[in-house]
Order: sequence, then C-alpha cells, then structure tokens
Amino acid sequence: MKETDLINSLAGLLIFTSLLVIETRRPSRAAQFYSLQSLVLVSIFVAVGHMTGSTELYLWAASSLLTKVILVPAILYFALRKFDAVLPLPSAMRIAAVVVLAAVVVVGCALLVAPITLPMAEAFRPALTVSLAHFFLGIACIVTQRNIIKQIFGYCLMENGSHLTLALLANQAPELVEIGIATDAVFAVVIFTVLARRIQRTFDSLDSDDLRTLRG
Amino acid sequence: MTGAVLIEALLLTLLVTSLAAFATRWLGSWTVRSVEIVHLVGLTLALLLTGTIIAKVLRRETLYALGDWLFVDSLGAIFLGLIAVVGFLSGVYSIGYMRHGLAKADLDPRGLATFYGFFSLFLLAMSMAVLSNNLVLMWVAIEGTTLSSVFLVGIYGTRTSLEAAWKYLVICTVGVALGLYGTVLVFASANAVMAPPGSAMLWTEVMKHATSLEPATISMAFVFVLIGFGTKAELFPMHGWLPDALSGAPSPASALLSGALANCAMLVIVRHAAIAALAVGPHFPQTLLLVFGVLSIVVGTLFIAVQRDVKRLLAYSSLENMGMIALGFGLGGPLGVAAALLHVINHSLAKTMLFCGSGNIVIKYGTRDLRRVKGMLKTAPFSGVLLMVGFLAMGGIPPFNVFLSEFLTVTAGVKAGYGWLMVVCLIFLTVILASFVRVISGSILGPAPGGMSRGDPSAWTLAPLAVLLALMLAIGVHVPGPMVQLMSDATETVLGISPTHAADTAPTKETTWLK
Repeated sequence: MKETDLINSLAGLLIFTSLLVIETRRPSRAAQFYSLQSLVLVSIFVAVGHMTGSTELYLWAASSLLTKVILVPAILYFALRKFDAVLPLPSAMRIAAVVVLAAVVVVGCALLVAPITLPMAEAFRPALTVSLAHFFLGIACIVTQRNIIKQIFGYCLMENGSHLTLALLANQAPELVEIGIATDAVFAVVIFTVLARRIQRTFDSLDSDDLRTLRG
Repeated sequence: MTGAVLIEALLLTLLVTSLAAFATRWLGSWTVRSVEIVHLVGLTLALLLTGTIIAKVLRRETLYALGDWLFVDSLGAIFLGLIAVVGFLSGVYSIGYMRHGLAKADLDPRGLATFYGFFSLFLLAMSMAVLSNNLVLMWVAIEGTTLSSVFLVGIYGTRTSLEAAWKYLVICTVGVALGLYGTVLVFASANAVMAPPGSAMLWTEVMKHATSLEPATISMAFVFVLIGFGTKAELFPMHGWLPDALSGAPSPASALLSGALANCAMLVIVRHAAIAALAVGPHFPQTLLLVFGVLSIVVGTLFIAVQRDVKRLLAYSSLENMGMIALGFGLGGPLGVAAALLHVINHSLAKTMLFCGSGNIVIKYGTRDLRRVKGMLKTAPFSGVLLMVGFLAMGGIPPFNVFLSEFLTVTAGVKAGYGWLMVVCLIFLTVILASFVRVISGSILGPAPGGMSRGDPSAWTLAPLAVLLALMLAIGVHVPGPMVQLMSDATETVLGISPTHAADTAPTKETTWLK
C-alpha cells in the first residue's frame, strides 16, 4: 500500500470515529471515542511526516498526543462524567439521517476542494476532503444536537478537522504556530465545560431548547 | 526605547495587570480597593505606552517585535490607539459601574477581581490581534478575544447572561474556525511561491508576493475569512450572538465588545482583502464587502426601529455601523477606504460613549426597557444631557464626528457610481436618526416618574462620557493633523500602494484632500 493510500484511509477512519462521538449518548463514552479519534489524527500526522520528511509534523504529533489524546479527553471525561446519569436528550436527527448527512457533506467538500491546485493538495485530495468534511460534521453536530454537552463535542470534532487541514496544507509552518492553535483549543474546551456546568446548575437542564429566552 | 521594547512592554503590562487583578481575589477585605488600583494603573500605563508607539509611527517608522511576528504600521496604529482609548475610558467608567453592581450584590468582590482580570486579558488579546503580522497568530489572537471575553458576558451568572455567553462562545468559535481555513489557504498558496515557509505567514511578506498568488485559492480563502472573521466583526448574517451578548454583558464590557473588538476582526478582514485585491483584483473582495455591508445596514436599521431595550438597540446600531464600515472598504478607492477608517474611529468613540451612557440608565432606573425609562433629564441631568447629545451625534447630526464619516462614505459611493444605493443608505440613516429621536423624546425628555430621587451617579460614570463627547466634537469640527496622517498612510497600505511605507513616502494626490 502506498503511503498516500494509508493516509487517505486513516482520514476515512476519522469520519467513522466522529459518527461514534456524535451518536454516543454518555458523555464519558463520547470523551473516550474522542480520544480514539485524536489517536487516529496523530497517526496521520506521523504518516504525513514520514512521507514528506517534515520534521515539524512529528512535533505536532507529539503535542497532539499530549493535548488531544490525553489532556482534553481527560478534562471532558472528569468534568462531564456526572452527566452520564442524566436522561439522554433525544437527538434532533435519526442515526440514518446523520449518516446520510455525513455522505452529503463529504461529497460537497470534494467539490469544494476540487479547484484547489496547490502542490500539497494534489497528493492528499481525499484526505483534504475528509478534513473539511470533518469540520462541517462538527458544525452539523453543534447545530443538530439539543444537548449542550454534545455541542462541546461538536466543537472538538470541528477542531480536529481544521487541525488535519493545517497538517496537510501548512505543515511547514513554525512549531510555535501550532502551539498557539493548540493552546486556544485547550482553553476553549475548558471554558466550554465550565460554562456548560454553570448552565446546568442554573437551568437544571442541558437542553439548548431551554436557552431560548433571548429573542429579537 | 526601541519599537520592539515598546510593543513587548505594552503586552507585558496588560498581561501583568490581568494576572494581578485575578490575584487580588485572595486579599480578603482589601480585594475591591486593590483591584481598582491595579486596574487603573495598568490601563494608564497601557495608554501611555500606546501613545509612545503611535508617536513613533507618526514619524513614519514601522515597528517590529518578536522576529517580525508583531508589527505596527499606520493601519495597525489606528486600531491599537482605539483599543487603548476605548479600553482606558470604559475601564475608568467600570469603576463607578461595577461599584454599583457590588452595592446591589449583582456580584461579590471575588467576582469583581475576575471581571477586571478578564477585562485586561481581553485588551491583551485584542492588542495581539491588531499587532500581529503573522497571519496565524492573528487568528490565534482573535480566538483569544472570544475566550477572554466569554466570562465578561456571563459575569453575573444569571440565566440570560449565561445563555448569552453560551451563544456567543458557540457562534464565535465556529465562525472564527472558518476564518482559520481562510488563513491556512492563504499560507499554503503563499508557501507555494515563497521561501522560507516562515515568511509565507507574515502579512508584510505575503503582500510583496501577493500578485503571484493563485487566484482561485485566494478567492476561496477570502470567502472563508469574510464569513469567519465577519462573525466577530458584527456583520449580518453572522451577528446572532450580538444583541444577546451586548445586552447581557455589564455596560463597560459591552462598550469594549462593540467599540474595540469588532474593529479588530474588521482589521483582519481588511488585511486579507488587501492580499486578495492584489491576487484576484480589487473587484472580488470589494463586491463581497459591499454586499455584506449593505445587508448589515438594512437589517440593523430595521431592528433599531422596533427595539425597546436600550442596549439591544445599541447592539443593532453596531451591526448597522460595522455595515457602514464594510461598505466604505467595499466602495474602495482612496476616498472609500479613508471614509471607512474614519468611521471606525468615530463609531468606536460614539458607541463606547452610548454603551457607558446606557449603564447610567441601568444604574438610575434598574432596567434597560425604554418604556419604563422616563424623564432622564430631570432625574439625572448630566447623564441626560450627555446621552441626548450622544444619541444625536450617533444619529449623524453635525458638527459631530459621525456625520463627517457618513457624509464621506456617501460621497465615495456617489463617486464610485453607486448613486442609487447611496440614496437607499441615506433613507436608512434617516430612519435611524428618527429612532434615536424617539428614544430621546420618550426616555430623556418629558416628565420624570414620581418618587424618584434626583441626582446623577458618581463622577466615575460621568467623566468618561464627557471626555468621549469632547473627542467626538473635536474630530467633527476639525480632524487633527496626526490622525489625518495616520489615515492617509493607512489608506495607502490598504490599497497596496506602500505595504511598508518608506520614510520619504509622500501622500498621494488622492489622499491629500483629508488635509
């Protein structure tokens, strides 16, 4: 198997893991699936690094292993575990509909990526498509899920998608840049969880439909 | 001091102020007094440092720091100056406003330390955003502005403020993430024609090679940038968070969100538009800015006309004014760009003044509902007069500053051949003025409700308003020379005439009209 094939298949695996994150009901389990997904992401970084000889990518892989496979999932796991017992909110969409939506998103992104003629984009077009699709799946998760905890996971998926795009198109960027982005991501997750817990305490609910007093 | 030292000192001052403010929460009964001192000293220092930086830029120096990752050109200097002025004045205002919140037990002393801590942190993130020469660092800083201001919006912990904070966080992180795609596409296409990779990330370097960038990729990148950063620049239709966040936050924080934050995101858009104009041609980015600008004006005006909550009304006025700024950049040409830059300054000052003024309404009446606010001129005469004049100025009455930039924008539009569109804009501006007059006649003039004590809130809440109004009048009567110089240099930067101006650059004929 050629390396590009490996990278593109791993990217496909990302979509599968994000469906797991979206459809899992217990927050603690979703955090574990998110960690698994980040592991796939890290392996893509290593593969791309091996292929392009870009040493920055190994650094990215190391820092992502630390933040995305361990730190962020741990934060999510311990902060949100207590909501496991909360009655799961009905998803706004059926599983079948989510899968169809995912397919539509992937096709749409393939069309969007097609005109990009950058040197890096040529080799990784399927992976690039997946990274963009992954990003939009995250947004779809935020929009369709009523549970605000799921919206946090939607953010995480979105972020993994953009991280992959970054690795494919901008892997020669200085390491400091990646650190800046990763720091933002970690702080964002912390702030999301702190705010979600305060909302749960104040509203006694995790339903975003209850967050609709402000209008007009 | 050299430029690099000044820039680093400014960022360090804001960081230390923020950390010190957070730390005062452990000082027990000393918390309130010490956090106020830390806050005021820090903001004063930041204002002085910014003034020194701008003085250097006025001598036609471009300052760099951290290996060219940070820089101040004339364009950046305008926005940096606004952050310092708006930050300082709303910071002084917050002393009076937050003391009132403490007295009413809306928050405790520890909450106050948190508020001031995030206040300076927010200023730091905004300063980073306008100082950044590195395109990705620009993105990181804009994301940082969201993260550092979420708790300013939700500081009271009430249902509505938490809801507003959540909406703000979700919409803006999604929006700004789209901006990252735009940024990455610009870097990737610059990296294909430039070496080494590090320089393909610097705006000043990318501008030098912008004409050789691949047009299709840059077009797509600019769409991502406009939608992404447009979310934070308060443009329609990405403005969903705006009325909630601006009405939920404490008034001085609303002033920062509207008077400083929106500009930072607009600057990022403008810097990307300058790249796109060279790579794709000016027509593409300008048309997009024009469309988003006009839509924001139309929608903003319609919501202003029906709004009964004073802070939501001001929020929609921000939507309309950011639309006006986008329109100016969209019209393009030296006149359009200069008008937009002047409107950035004018709107910031006026909106900071009105948001702080709305705080006085909240202090006095305990509500933002304009139907329950009556006879402000009788109950709080100074606040009443300041607010009345402020609303008229924001509505575009001469001799105040907003009139000047709106007039220039419309002139630029007519010159660019958009006569009919400018007539439509003028009609909408008239509707806005009428809505503001309705606020004045309904809530500021007229008889006061019975049983209300007469008297203004403390001087802390009046002095910043008076200073802002004086600045607005001064600019409206005669735009000061240094400001003209910054604006004409910045206009050339936006138009790609002199990305980094040399010491001997003379202003072009088109920009000399400002003088």
